[in-house]
Amino acid sequence: MFSLSRQIGIKSITRPTTSILSRSIKTIPQPPGYVVGTVNDAYIPPKPHKLEGSYHWTAERLVSIGLVPLTLAPLFTGVSTLLDSTLSALLLYHCYAGFQSCIIDYIPKRVYGNYFNYAMYLLTFGTGIAGYGIYKIEEKEGGVTKLVGKLWKA
Amino acid sequence: MAKRSGLQREVLKLYRMSIRCIKTKPPQTREHWRSFIHEEFGKYKGIPKIQFNTIEHLIRTGYKRYEMFSNPQIKDIH
Amino acid sequence: MFRSILRNQQKISLRTLATQATEKAPRIKKFQIYRWNPDTPQEQPQMKTYEIDLNKCGPMVLDALLKIKNEEDATLTFRRSCREGICGSCAMNIGGKNTLACLCRIDQDTAKETKVYPLPHMFVVRDLVPDLTHFYKQYKSIEPYLQREDHPADGRENLQSIADRAKLDGLYECILCACCSTSCPSYWWNQQQYLGPAVLMQAYRWLIDSRDQATAQRKAMLQNSMSLYRCHTIMNCARTCPKGLNPGKAIAEIKKQMAFD
Repeated sequence: MFSLSRQIGIKSITRPTTSILSRSIKTIPQPPGYVVGTVNDAYIPPKPHKLEGSYHWTAERLVSIGLVPLTLAPLFTGVSTLLDSTLSALLLYHCYAGFQSCIIDYIPKRVYGNYFNYAMYLLTFGTGIAGYGIYKIEEKEGGVTKLVGKLWKA
Repeated sequence: MAKRSGLQREVLKLYRMSIRCIKTKPPQTREHWRSFIHEEFGKYKGIPKIQFNTIEHLIRTGYKRYEMFSNPQIKDIH
Repeated sequence: MFRSILRNQQKISLRTLATQATEKAPRIKKFQIYRWNPDTPQEQPQMKTYEIDLNKCGPMVLDALLKIKNEEDATLTFRRSCREGICGSCAMNIGGKNTLACLCRIDQDTAKETKVYPLPHMFVVRDLVPDLTHFYKQYKSIEPYLQREDHPADGRENLQSIADRAKLDGLYECILCACCSTSCPSYWWNQQQYLGPAVLMQAYRWLIDSRDQATAQRKAMLQNSMSLYRCHTIMNCARTCPKGLNPGKAIAEIKKQMAFD
């Protein structure tokens, strides 16, 4: 009995967990030397998609520039729900765009296929929950700014 | 038979491609091509499958040579 | 007057004679060089140490490499051509920095070893020679040539104002040595799809060329999340460029140009 379990089980138990993880994630094999087609063909870029390209970038920049006055405003004008909800919504988008960038960088679709989609679903799901949380804070605590103010004083 | 790893399948793919390419060569030289392919693949038969960086390099150079030799202007090899 | 010139010449010739007489003590500098031979692929890459007397060697790292190749180890392989920083062949990683061996001075501190590697995150062909196939394929994809619908009426060259020409300064000098692209972490992770600083700078060079008429197609090619927008302004490119150019700025200019179209 003991020897049987050693034969079947021990090896898979003693194997380090990282290798099990990396083995269970199937990556898409890449073309040798990243060369698609012959050596003299030009590289073919992905299809143009403005929402992923320039519009995405512009939105990112506008949001991050917009965040600066919105963060400073409550210090001078006092707290208002409109100001506060805009601030938290933009902040949420800012975080979303940042994480999205990380996912595109480190879990590229080209290598990980569907895992890229799962990561994006997870991010969208998380953003949704955070959005709901912000709504609750606005409703009960009277805004993110007020909450930060409370924490500051506490 | 044990399930082949991705790298092993890559090697077999290259091998099949090379063998199929023989058909595009003139009939009297096909035997030369076949022995050439067997010799080239046989050279590195002993490489342990854990040395994947070596095997990946061989696949890369293999594809480059395949591309060169599959040119229809190259008719014979010794 | 003639006599004074003659006297000066005599003085100079005397001085050159005087300096040649002394013999200096040897200054031995160690170079650790990345070696890998494709003929024996089973052997793992290794660092090999070479010793060089700096007194008998030129000032640049390329001089040292040539000296090693000539006198110590003829199997050492690297690309070189112009030895004056205009061809971009001898790009390699010297002392942790991507640069051209012909423009990089040897560190005169003999206590330290200088390490020489091929360009990082590229497939190695042999020793210090990287495989730049994909880099050149990417360069080809941006169509780096003048595209026009119509031609000048007088059948001669396309003219350009001096101000328009001045816009190309700092862009056209790029020699495509791939130092910047291979120093960019974004290019390391996504080099299959991200074009990299060197190629994007050339894309910008053709975008702002007043004579070029294919601007719309050129911009459309970059309209996706990978080709251009993987640049996160890390700016390793500008720091490493052996020609002192700024690819990061060029990429930022493309992004600015494309922001609202």
